[in-house]
Amino acid sequence: MSKEKLFILIFVSIGAFIGMVLSYGTYFGIHMTSGEKFCVSCHEMDPMVVSYKDDIHGGKGVLGASARCVDCHLPHDNLANYIYTKAKNGIAEVGIHFFGDPDAIDWQEKLKHRQSFVFDTGCLECHGNVMKNDLATTSKQALKMHKHYQELKGTEKEIGCASCHFDAGHKGMRNMLNYYKPEHSMYKEKMEEKKKEVQKKYQKYGIEVHEE
Amino acid sequence: MKKVLRFIGVFLFVVPLLYISVKAYGGDNQSPPTITKQEEIKISPELHKKFPMKSMHAKLSLSCVFCHEGQGNNPEEWEYVEEDACLSCHKTKKYLAERLAFMDTLKANPHNSIHDGTNLSCDECHNEHKPSINMCSECHQKEIKENIWMRKVP
Amino acid sequence: MADITRRSFVKMGAVGAGMIALGSTAANAAVSEKGVKYDGEYDVIIIGSGYAALSAGITAAEKGNKVLMVEKMGRIGGNSVINGGLLAVVNSPKQKSEGVNDSAERYIADSMKAGKSINHIENLQVIAERGNDALKLVQKCGAKFYDKLSHLGGHSVPRTYLSANGSGSGIVLPMISYFKKLPNGTIKNKTKFDEFVTDDSGRVVGVSVREKYKFDKKAKDDHRENTGGKRKYYKAKKGVILASGGFCRDTFFRKIQDPRISDSIDSTNQPGATAEVMMQAFKAGAVPVHIGRIQFGPWACPDEKGFGAASNFNINATFRYGISVDPKTNKRYMNELADRLTRATAMFKVIGDEKNFPINICDQGAVDKIIPEIAEKSLKAGVVKKFDTIDALAAEYKLDAAALKKEIAAYNGYVKAGKDPEQGKPVDKTEGVQIVKAPFYATRGVPKLHHTMGGIKINTKAQVISSETELPIPGLYAAGEITGGTHGASRLGSCSIPDCLVFGMVAGENI
Repeated sequence: MSKEKLFILIFVSIGAFIGMVLSYGTYFGIHMTSGEKFCVSCHEMDPMVVSYKDDIHGGKGVLGASARCVDCHLPHDNLANYIYTKAKNGIAEVGIHFFGDPDAIDWQEKLKHRQSFVFDTGCLECHGNVMKNDLATTSKQALKMHKHYQELKGTEKEIGCASCHFDAGHKGMRNMLNYYKPEHSMYKEKMEEKKKEVQKKYQKYGIEVHEE
Repeated sequence: MKKVLRFIGVFLFVVPLLYISVKAYGGDNQSPPTITKQEEIKISPELHKKFPMKSMHAKLSLSCVFCHEGQGNNPEEWEYVEEDACLSCHKTKKYLAERLAFMDTLKANPHNSIHDGTNLSCDECHNEHKPSINMCSECHQKEIKENIWMRKVP
Repeated sequence: MADITRRSFVKMGAVGAGMIALGSTAANAAVSEKGVKYDGEYDVIIIGSGYAALSAGITAAEKGNKVLMVEKMGRIGGNSVINGGLLAVVNSPKQKSEGVNDSAERYIADSMKAGKSINHIENLQVIAERGNDALKLVQKCGAKFYDKLSHLGGHSVPRTYLSANGSGSGIVLPMISYFKKLPNGTIKNKTKFDEFVTDDSGRVVGVSVREKYKFDKKAKDDHRENTGGKRKYYKAKKGVILASGGFCRDTFFRKIQDPRISDSIDSTNQPGATAEVMMQAFKAGAVPVHIGRIQFGPWACPDEKGFGAASNFNINATFRYGISVDPKTNKRYMNELADRLTRATAMFKVIGDEKNFPINICDQGAVDKIIPEIAEKSLKAGVVKKFDTIDALAAEYKLDAAALKKEIAAYNGYVKAGKDPEQGKPVDKTEGVQIVKAPFYATRGVPKLHHTMGGIKINTKAQVISSETELPIPGLYAAGEITGGTHGASRLGSCSIPDCLVFGMVAGENI
């Protein structure tokens, strides 16, 4: 083989190797920051993770099928948007966790804006059939309301899946949030008890447990 | 040789580009099924003012006929709806009770109270076209006033 | 609210509107059967949905009758779901296991003492004899009771079963579920009974009601002002049972019986406890008994509305194992376990015109003896307060600590001696509990309108007696607080529920 050819071969090999490392690395990076084990490493996510594990979307259903955090909480319309939103949110969340006060976050208030952090493109990745109106299993109510959804789509009055399906993915989250941060003083002692119960039960998912 | 290399280079560049563009601009676009427009029921602005919709229902741009289903085309003749209208979206009373399960620790869950279990009908507290009341405050006025028990009734 | 009732009034069909006009004005006579087109037929129709109604409904339905229960409120159960769930049973299984000697005579004597001897003894006899059957009925439905019997004021021996969840709902909710599951039982809520339908002979053969009735809590007199609802007629082939409760919330009617009862006086009752069904019975010829006997429950608290959380605390802890003092004198002023009339009268004397509410006091020893939830709830609601010392307690209620301690010491002495020469409290029956163990508990006390002893006269078969014929009105029965005479001038605690359950059962058996 001539020197030229060797050079090219080496170049290409190195290029291919770097490319593999980068793409594999990116793939792994994205993959490892997509599951609940990663999300729960910030303890302010504990109520969300616990209620997720109690939900069908967390695997509680008969068949155990589940969705990852990113499957619903990041857009799935195109890869560029996905990565951009992931990066943007990640930086913001890390910033708040380390430089802000995550325990002061008013989650009940944030829930009112759920349309902005639960992406319909995520829901439709699995529930793609939901807009079909000729399926035998679709209820009359579903047909009626999904038609309403489609009529509003693209308009300024657009609603999201989560606007109505407010607890999809996190069944009983209001209860969880109360265990961690009671909304009303009457329940304080009982919520403390419940929190300890929950922490014990879900410890294996990475929930923070305080041993007193 | 140069030609081959050029070809490989172009191939390595173009294919991923093509792939990304396909993914970006392709994807599953479900074309929405054809929507047949029902005849519009005219709700006069006076009626809208007299019977305003709650903010969380208005946020979803719900239409009056979603609740007043099957009551005819004349809004002047509509009557108060029974609880099945509420439960057509809000599922079941048990489901609503479970949502406030944290209150069960003190048997103080309005949707599963010590007095009525899940027997109460929605309109004991919840009104759509006028402010809701808190039925529990008929007797438990103190705890409601001091806001130590539950939120303002939506 | 008036908007909606007016609107739905206008929306009636032409026929309906005519019927509404007929029904909403004060009709002079019941509706004649002629010209009535029934919207449905039943064997038995019951007005009300509480203890008496459910007891009657379950009994009648299990005998094979097609039963309709009609309730004007949206909420089912009326007062029956919000009371303390205490019922006194004579010669009960628990009395046997606790070695309590009881008899119908003793029960009747206790009731007569409280009732100032004007009780209708034959009715008391029925309650004493059938109490165990009523207990079996509610237990069959799933009602659960606390282990121990409770010994209430005015009873010479412990007789009282306590609902396990601390509320009458522990008895009523299982009964409602049970009744709903029966194939021939129906409950219609938001359905207002207006008048009887009678045949030529005067026999009650049906009811005229309004469905989709929305009780107006803001109205001063809902049953007089509310013209809403859709007129319907239902046939009652065997008869109608009236079980619609008392009238403590009927501001017009109660003031006529006792002008001292102002509109603003608080009551333990739910807003639907009014006199209109009883009035229809009178119109049909029923005999009124003891209508002016209206009872105040002495164990309530002015710092909360209705029965509240403090009432059960006073009934079970402070009155039984503690004392009640006049803040002005720092001394006791009554036998804390006397009948309700005696106690209420004494308390009103203390309260006077200056809202000088008496203070009810007990210690941890008393609280240890009661269902923990009762104390928890009252403390949480802030109506019962806990103190580490008597001094702190006295400071809170502006009492004289020294004088209070003296009074407590005197009371403790009486408990030790087994005799209360001062107020006559049966301290030999309070298990020797003195006020000694910290922390100490206190609450302010006030009597609240609670029960109407008077009502419709019934015989021992729950048949309503006619003032004209002195015989039962055919097709008309009644049970529960709507009836009168059983409890005389003043009812003993935990005696209304057995009255309702037993006579409801009796009505269901005899109809």
